[in-house]
This record gives sequence, C-alpha cells and structure tokens, in this order.
Amino acid sequence: MNDADTDADATDRMLLQRMAAGDRVALGVMYRSYHGRLTRFLSRVTRRADVIEEAINDCFWIAWQKAGTFHGDSRVSTWIMGIAYRCGLKALRQHGDEPVDDDALPEDRTPAHDPDEDRELRDWLGKGLDRLSVDQRIVIELVYGVGHSLDEVAVIMQCPVGTVKARLFHARVKLRNVLPALAGDSSTLKEGMR
Amino acid sequence: MTFPKDTARDCTRAWEAMPWVLQESASEEQRDWLTDHLAQCESCRAEFAQQSRLRLALSLPSDIPIDANVGLKRLLGRLDMPEIVEAPVRRRSGGWLTRALVAAVLVQAVGVSVLGMKLWSAGDQSSYRTLSQETAPAAPGSIHVVPDGGMKLADWDALLHSLHLQVVGGPNEVGAYTVVPADPVTPARNALQQLRATQGIRLAEPVAATP
Repeated sequence: MNDADTDADATDRMLLQRMAAGDRVALGVMYRSYHGRLTRFLSRVTRRADVIEEAINDCFWIAWQKAGTFHGDSRVSTWIMGIAYRCGLKALRQHGDEPVDDDALPEDRTPAHDPDEDRELRDWLGKGLDRLSVDQRIVIELVYGVGHSLDEVAVIMQCPVGTVKARLFHARVKLRNVLPALAGDSSTLKEGMR
Repeated sequence: MTFPKDTARDCTRAWEAMPWVLQESASEEQRDWLTDHLAQCESCRAEFAQQSRLRLALSLPSDIPIDANVGLKRLLGRLDMPEIVEAPVRRRSGGWLTRALVAAVLVQAVGVSVLGMKLWSAGDQSSYRTLSQETAPAAPGSIHVVPDGGMKLADWDALLHSLHLQVVGGPNEVGAYTVVPADPVTPARNALQQLRATQGIRLAEPVAATP
C-alpha cells in the first residue's frame, strides 16, 4: 500500500466512524467517492444501469447499517468492494446474467468527452472481457482496474488466494490469446508499449 | 535475437510480475528486474505492452450513465423509511415461521383425528384378547368338525362344498376345524346331520352359543 492508499484509507475510516454515528453527510461523501469505481466494477457483472444502481444502493445500505461493526481487519475499500461484490452477485441472481444489450442502452451512453481512442479501447476491452467468466472479469477488474492485491481480492471474493491466482492466470491467458486479434493490427499494440 | 539460457524461467517470472509492476505495488527490485528482462525479451515486451493497454482500458470510467446524485437521493430516501423497508422482511420471515408451525400442528391434529376414528371404528375387534376378556362369540351355526386322519383333502373340500360350509378356524390342538355355513340360508342343522353321516368325519358338534 503506497502513501496515497494509506491516506485514502485513513479518510475512509474517519468517514465510516461518522457513518456509524449516523452522519449522513459522511455517507454522502463516501457514496460519491466510491460511486465511479463501483459502477465500473459492477458493470463487469451486468450492463443494466438500473441493476447497477440497485446494487450500489444495496451496498451502501449495508455499509450504513454495518459501519459500526468494521474492525479494520482490511482496508475500507476492500470491505466495501466485498459488500458490492456480494450485492452484484445477488443482483445477477435476481435479474440474470444479461449480456450487453446495445439496443437497451441510450445511444449517447459514451461520455461526450470520450475521444475516439477511448471508444476504440472500450470496444477492444469489451470484446475481450466477453470471452471471460464473471469471476474472471471481476478478478481482472479488481487487479488491473482497481489495483487490489491477490490477498485483498481473496477477501473481497471470500475465496482462497490460490483460487484468485488461478482465475487471474486463466483470464490473462485467455485475453492474451484473443486481444491481439481483436486489436486489428499489431500497430495498436505498440501504442501501449512503454 | 539471442536469449539467455533460462529464458523460459525468466519469462514466467516476468509474466507473474507484470500486474504488480503495472499497479505500482511491486518492489523496486522487481520493477528493475522486469525492465531489464523486457529490454532483451521481445515476446515479454509485446505481452507487457498488451497488459499496459489492458490496464489503461480498465482504468477508463464506466460508459454506463448512472447519476450518483440521483442514486444518493434514493438511498437517503430509503434511510428515511427504514421501518417500511425492514418491516415486511421481518414480518415475512416471522410469518413464515408461524405458518410453518401452524401447518405442523394442523397436520398432527388431522393425523390424531384419523387415528382416533380408526381405533374407535375398530371398537373391540382387537387382534388380541386379554385373559380377563370373555371368549369372542362364535358365529351362528358354527360347527366343530374333526375329520379322520385318512380323509383326503379333495374329499374334505368336496364335502364342505356340497354342504355350503367354509372353514373359519382350526385345526386346533385336537385337529378340530371350525366351519360355518357359507350360505346363511342353508339350515345349520342339516349340515350338522350330514356331516355326522359322512364317512371320514370323526366328530361334528355345534359350537355352544355364548350365554
């Protein structure tokens, strides 16, 4: 954990303590702070905006109720992502694993500031993630997208570290096999090289 | 391009290090080692480039438009009516338990009633008899018959058939059968006399009626 993570966790803990005392302002700050990453995280589970919002609100409803029971065994972000993961799975059970339904999404769902390059990157990623299982997509998101360690992902998904390692390995192998072809040409790869 | 001897092992190590170097949680030593390895391994360089692009793509904000303010407003509204949200859940779970218990009691009550009715309807027709109980009354027209030991089964069957009698008991310890008229219309007295007159019947006596 770097200094920025440590500072963020200290802020989260303070907010959680205030939430435990019934401070709704703290809840609002925490909600806005996590909304973006939870939306992206849950979008790896389902593409339905209403289901994602429901899962986020279920997550913070639980966080609000259980704030006083957080003992600091992990980072607050790990704790919240774990709750969100379970809420996401619950939403998946209730609403089904509905794949991307472009017709159901508004045409202008891509942010207006999204340049063509980002759109191309999203398409490339989306096609690659479609090849993975839900658990593999979640591990990839937690490691590459959010930046969690293997231990933290194991806490979030409530499974052994070995299982997380296996899911990450298989997801990476699958992506390695499909992503270059999805990129269209090799020049696209070189853009990402350091 | 030349590769060091332990390329395969180094490539595996590089593969494992890539995610952590990319999320900047790897040690400085690990990062430096990977940089050196990438400088001399083209395939790992390509893989790392793809991993970098993957991380970049995954770090883009979600393209699903969800308004945080609207969601927060809904959440706060939900907090304002916790009883309404919680009450149905509690009532449902409590109601479920109560309904299950009531159902169990009803099933038991029905079972006890059925059993009681069955026992009541059976009355004193128990399959056993205590020593204090009187002997069960014999059916009207019952006759104790002792056939001769040499009588053939076919002759015995033919005799009973001709006299419209049927065996309802025996043989007891002295070899006596209890027979009753199969047809209530046939006078028992005639059957008794014919039995006594039949060769091969050692004894035929009417069963004394219970006083």
